[in-house]
Amino acid sequence: MSLALIAALPFLGALTPALTQRFGRGIATATVALFSAAALLLILQHVPAIMAGQTITTQINWLPTLGLNANFRLDGLALLFALLILGIGLLIQIYARFYLDTSEPYARFLTYLMLFQGAMLGIVLSDNILLLLVFWEMTSLSSFLLIGFWSHLPKARQGARMALATTGAGGLAMIAGLLMLGHVAGGYDLSTILGERAAIQASPLYVPALLLILLGAFTKSAQFPFHYWLPHAMAAPTPVSAYLHSATMVKAGLFLLARLWPVLAGTPEWFWIVTSAGLITMSFAAGVALFKDDLKAILAYSTVSHLGLITFLLGLGTKAAATAAVFHILCHATFKAALFMLAGIVDHATHTRDIRALGGLRRAMPISFALASIATLSMAGIPPLNGFLSKEMMLEEAAHTAPWVIPVLATFAALLSVAYALRFLVYTFLGQAPAYAHAPHDPGAGLWLPPAILAALVVAIGLAPMAMAGWLVDAAASATTGEAVHAHIALWHGLQPPALWMSLAAVGGALVVLGLYPALRAAWDGAHKPDAKAMFDAGMGWLTKTATALTQGLHNGSLSRGFAVGLCSFLALGLYAYLSAPTLPGTRALTQISFAPVVAFGLLMTAALAATALHRKRLLALLLTGIVGLILSASFAYLSAPDLALTQITVEVVTIALMLLALNFLPKTTPRKTAGFRKLRDGGLAVAVGTGVAALAYTLMTREAMFPPISAFHLAQSLPGAGGHNAVNTIIVDFRGYDTYGEIIVLGIAALLIFALTESLLGTRWAVQPDHAAGDEGDAHPVMLQTATRLILPMAMLVGVYLFLRGHNEPGGGFVAGLVFAIGLVLQYIASGQDWAAARRRIPYHAMIGAGVLVASATGIGSFLAGRPFLTSNFTHGHLPPLKDFELATAALFDLGVFLCVLGAVMLALDALARLAKPQEGR
Amino acid sequence: MSQLLILPVILPAALAGFIILFARNALAVQRAISGFGTLALLALAITLIQAPTQSYFLGNWPAPFGIALTLDGLSALMLLLTASLALIVLIHSIATGWDAQGRHFHALFLFQLMGLNGAFLTADAFNLFVFFEVLLIASYGLMVHGGGQARIRAGVQYVAFNLLGSTLFLFALATIYSTMGTLNMADLAQKLPLVGADDTGLIRVAAVLLMLVFAIKAALVPLQFWLPGTYANAPGPVAALFAVMTKVGAYALIRFGTLVFPGDLPALGGLLAGLLYPAALATIAVGAIGTLAAGALPRQIAFAAIGSMGTLLLAVSAFTPEAVSATLYYLIHSTLATAALFLIADLARTRRDGLTAALYMAAAIAMAGMPPLSGFVGKLLVLDALRSDPLAWTFILLASLLTMIGLARQGSDLFWKAPNTEAPAQSKAGVLLCLAALVALTLAAGPITGWLGQTAAALDAPEAYIAANRLGVAE
Amino acid sequence: MLTYALTFAIACFALALILNLWRLATAPTMPDRILTVDTMVINIIALIVLYGAKAQSAVSFDAALLLAMTGFVSTVAFCKFLLRGGIIE
Repeated sequence: MSLALIAALPFLGALTPALTQRFGRGIATATVALFSAAALLLILQHVPAIMAGQTITTQINWLPTLGLNANFRLDGLALLFALLILGIGLLIQIYARFYLDTSEPYARFLTYLMLFQGAMLGIVLSDNILLLLVFWEMTSLSSFLLIGFWSHLPKARQGARMALATTGAGGLAMIAGLLMLGHVAGGYDLSTILGERAAIQASPLYVPALLLILLGAFTKSAQFPFHYWLPHAMAAPTPVSAYLHSATMVKAGLFLLARLWPVLAGTPEWFWIVTSAGLITMSFAAGVALFKDDLKAILAYSTVSHLGLITFLLGLGTKAAATAAVFHILCHATFKAALFMLAGIVDHATHTRDIRALGGLRRAMPISFALASIATLSMAGIPPLNGFLSKEMMLEEAAHTAPWVIPVLATFAALLSVAYALRFLVYTFLGQAPAYAHAPHDPGAGLWLPPAILAALVVAIGLAPMAMAGWLVDAAASATTGEAVHAHIALWHGLQPPALWMSLAAVGGALVVLGLYPALRAAWDGAHKPDAKAMFDAGMGWLTKTATALTQGLHNGSLSRGFAVGLCSFLALGLYAYLSAPTLPGTRALTQISFAPVVAFGLLMTAALAATALHRKRLLALLLTGIVGLILSASFAYLSAPDLALTQITVEVVTIALMLLALNFLPKTTPRKTAGFRKLRDGGLAVAVGTGVAALAYTLMTREAMFPPISAFHLAQSLPGAGGHNAVNTIIVDFRGYDTYGEIIVLGIAALLIFALTESLLGTRWAVQPDHAAGDEGDAHPVMLQTATRLILPMAMLVGVYLFLRGHNEPGGGFVAGLVFAIGLVLQYIASGQDWAAARRRIPYHAMIGAGVLVASATGIGSFLAGRPFLTSNFTHGHLPPLKDFELATAALFDLGVFLCVLGAVMLALDALARLAKPQEGR
Repeated sequence: MSQLLILPVILPAALAGFIILFARNALAVQRAISGFGTLALLALAITLIQAPTQSYFLGNWPAPFGIALTLDGLSALMLLLTASLALIVLIHSIATGWDAQGRHFHALFLFQLMGLNGAFLTADAFNLFVFFEVLLIASYGLMVHGGGQARIRAGVQYVAFNLLGSTLFLFALATIYSTMGTLNMADLAQKLPLVGADDTGLIRVAAVLLMLVFAIKAALVPLQFWLPGTYANAPGPVAALFAVMTKVGAYALIRFGTLVFPGDLPALGGLLAGLLYPAALATIAVGAIGTLAAGALPRQIAFAAIGSMGTLLLAVSAFTPEAVSATLYYLIHSTLATAALFLIADLARTRRDGLTAALYMAAAIAMAGMPPLSGFVGKLLVLDALRSDPLAWTFILLASLLTMIGLARQGSDLFWKAPNTEAPAQSKAGVLLCLAALVALTLAAGPITGWLGQTAAALDAPEAYIAANRLGVAE
Repeated sequence: MLTYALTFAIACFALALILNLWRLATAPTMPDRILTVDTMVINIIALIVLYGAKAQSAVSFDAALLLAMTGFVSTVAFCKFLLRGGIIE
């Protein structure tokens, strides 16, 4: 549990600045430092056990089915990194407290910093590699926030995005790699994986997994060719650079290489990829560092170079090299973090980081000069500092590695390293002081103490390596290699070739290089250099532009294109499905057809075709559509579907009225938009789809179902079960009353929707006065029409009531009845106008819809009382002389709900549109 | 007999009816009723998710002759998801005053919930059509809520495209009914394996047409054209609610793909999976590329939503219990993440302060599938379920990258480059609730995936579902 | 005998429909077309009734009645639209 707690402490700490910021920056810093310190102490408490060769683990199940568990592990390697993360973290917290300006959102900074610390600590403490992935990506995300901290600067935003895109991409590759690794090893816990070396290296997935994991590690650790993001991440405040980009985050990739070293290293693939990436990075970045003028840029490229060095050592695959790598991780963290902090101090004191504008600071800033000298010389690998020791170890390993190009390149990189380090020191602190705007001076202890502590470590480890760091390096190297390592690090091995010779050569060469610097610089400045940022930006720009072009080309908002694509897929896939399997021919005989239906059919076709051809003349098209509806109604009557016929007739009337109302708001003709080719294409598609639908309908109608259809049950049960002679009605209100329940609600919603829409359009440019140019002849409300419609209203209602009452047994029902009522009312609107009708309306149409839904619901719920499900019908026969026997069915009550809903919906829609068509007040 | 099963449908319907009848001009009453209804639905869903698989026979008619509702793990899950999302959306709508921007918001909202719940519960293919209509028309109403030319124009696209889908749905149902003589899904599941090998053409047509209908709802490429404009122009909370609308399509695909048209059905021979797979890959690509291309935030989220549907359907297309289980987890995640982003986009329209930025970052992390939120877990589950498919991995991971880059750029442009703290702060309660749900989904991933595993196993072997329908047995 | 009469009558009305179509195509003005469609409704009513008589089934008479009662509403609406530019004022 303690490990999980340690991992959680920084995250808990991240919550505190929001609460403590009101007490001042000191308290806020102290609070988060308390969390880091607590974590550090808890880690230290495990040191004896680790020294004894134990591995501390805790396990918490999170997602066991996947193998993603909160399992933590503390061994030598994790210990080394945890100490770096928390130790340097504490120093950074102090430094940042004094570094950041009071005007900056300090609490936010601390929160981001602690989030990062937690993520980083999580990486090194994870036993489960999926958990490691979680923390891994979190470091990318939190560093995105930290790099972009000065978010008003474009450089910061771009740097942050570049770092996120690069390390994020690597992280995604690593997801794939680690999933493969775990899959091969049979588990995602390191304790499992580290024991499966043979199985992993024998698996065909080894190479892809290795490549993907390396992609993750190299992007994170800024290895060539993914190094470009690190210099641009320097847009971050200096404490961030010191922490993330020297000591911790960029080491995460190295950590992963070390962590998986026992199972991945030792193969030719590993050797060639990792060593060459390391060597190239090491020498290339050292060269670039030599020609940079920004202090932080020099340090950034130096970091890249040193990361390359460590990568190179890990790539070698030998125990001694791994030990050297681990040692250099420690050494580099100490001197490089100190250097970043010092660069920040110089920046603060002189307001510049350009080495060309600096110089002579040794007098004005003696403390900084002393500290910088120690750290810089260590970076250069000058005895007796720790950098010397680890560099010697590196050169020693390189010297023993074939082919010869490796030791040569290593020496060359060391040479450059000496050169840029000396340049850094000399140009900043020695020489003549230029005229500074403000006299520079050493900062307060809050700023110089953190690098001083690190510089002390640099010296101490250099002088007494075994006492100071031997134990830690042993433990870490043992954990890395999986075998007990007892390193022997000493300051002076005597005149031991070849490392010492190489080292001397490096120093000598560096002096030569510095001597020739002006000439080299001129050559460098004159050379054409590929700019990584420009390339990255160009790549991103291209990607975004292509994506935009693709997306806008595809989604240009054209409805007809969407329809065309949709219809094509319906047709193609439907045809494919049909043709790729056998179908038996239909068994039903075709019925005979006589003269009149043929004529009607011809009329139907002609009207439909004409409506299509003349659709631009909207009124005519509507008239033709009316004919289609008319013939359709007649066909229903002819084909013995009286219910459908009644419904169709009434629906047609109401539809035409609504459509005519809608035409008010449209131009009388549709503008011609479609060009010849598109017309042909769309026409062809329409014909094809129509043919397809017709073919499907024909196929279906000429066949019997393969299984007895359920309609047989409906026919048989209509009277005995549902108490009605009319099976259509019993299906609608009883067998499938629930469908009807849904559909009347659809109708109701549609009306509410029309109402809400017209309501929102009232007073906008849509609600223009109707186009009276077509004609304003005659009377708005002709008396004859008024008189006739007054007479028709009660008649229509009577018919409606009649249709409603007999619906259960004969054609009719609530739906038709509602429509007939509505037609009676529509006539009043037409004859006397909306104002007249609205003034005489007692029941709001809204209420009818609401009441309809409620009545239908209540009828359905009524059957709960009998312990029956929703909409269970009940019926009985009543006697009321002198009437004939009549039936009382709950279904009729449900039908009343249908009636109300239909009537309310139609009238609400009509009324809303009519209101919109009225001339607006104040227009 | 327990009446609980029908309540998720009739309760919101009756409450909406009540609002229209008695409270259509009283916003406070409407809010109270809506709030009560949503909470009640949440309570119902929590009750039902613990219930065993069972059916409810409307009108007391035995299946397959009447309409049956059947509740299983998947239905209950969708009910719970819908109710939770509804609560989040309702809180946001009320707190930000969106519901007062036009007429009938609450009635339409409740009808929308009724439509969703009805679709998730029904065991009858035709009844599914009916509820598709209910939720389509209600969602159209919500979409154009508040008016405005761009919104109404986009609304036309939405409704037109979906009506095309409805028409196709009718053709598909006609095909099914006239070949199989039944519409009950359990009945179909029992009868389809009995179809003779020499007469499978029409069954395949029906299956493909149905799949296309659901693909329109799920915005599967090439039927996604309606989504970007719709989501981008809908009012913020409505767009958030729509996060579950695409999931209706996914639900129906899973339901039909496991129950009615399972992969081992001889008549189909893997037809659906074979079609679904490339379409899902294309959907991922279109979504990710669209997210990268960005533009305004709502449109970008719409594309991210398309991309997440692609990932989801890619997992569905495998139709293994493991993949379905991963799908369901991803489905919950993607719904909540999309909703959270849309709500944040709504807040960010006016005010872009530090807290909004932090919320955006959290939601964007979830959407892009980055740790530590559920998107990452969901992505791992999907990748793990598709572990023998490098192509799927490539698509999913690359899409993650593009989504991440796109959302990061949007975030840095919106909150870093152009912060705005002038406008008055709006309530973030809905967003916070949504993110809390995402966090809970992440933390409780273990128990949740365990439960989903059982649900997926039950989908793979739907005997209990079929048995619950008591086919042909009258009470 | 009645069968022949019915068949003859049906043929006549069918012919009338064709003539309606002819008129629709050649009508000079919109009001003529509207009148044509109104006539068509009358002819359809006749056809429905005649077919009912021929099949000796009254089941579709309701449809004819309803058509008779409501068919003119569309005609009125169209006319109103033509005359006034809007059907409800």
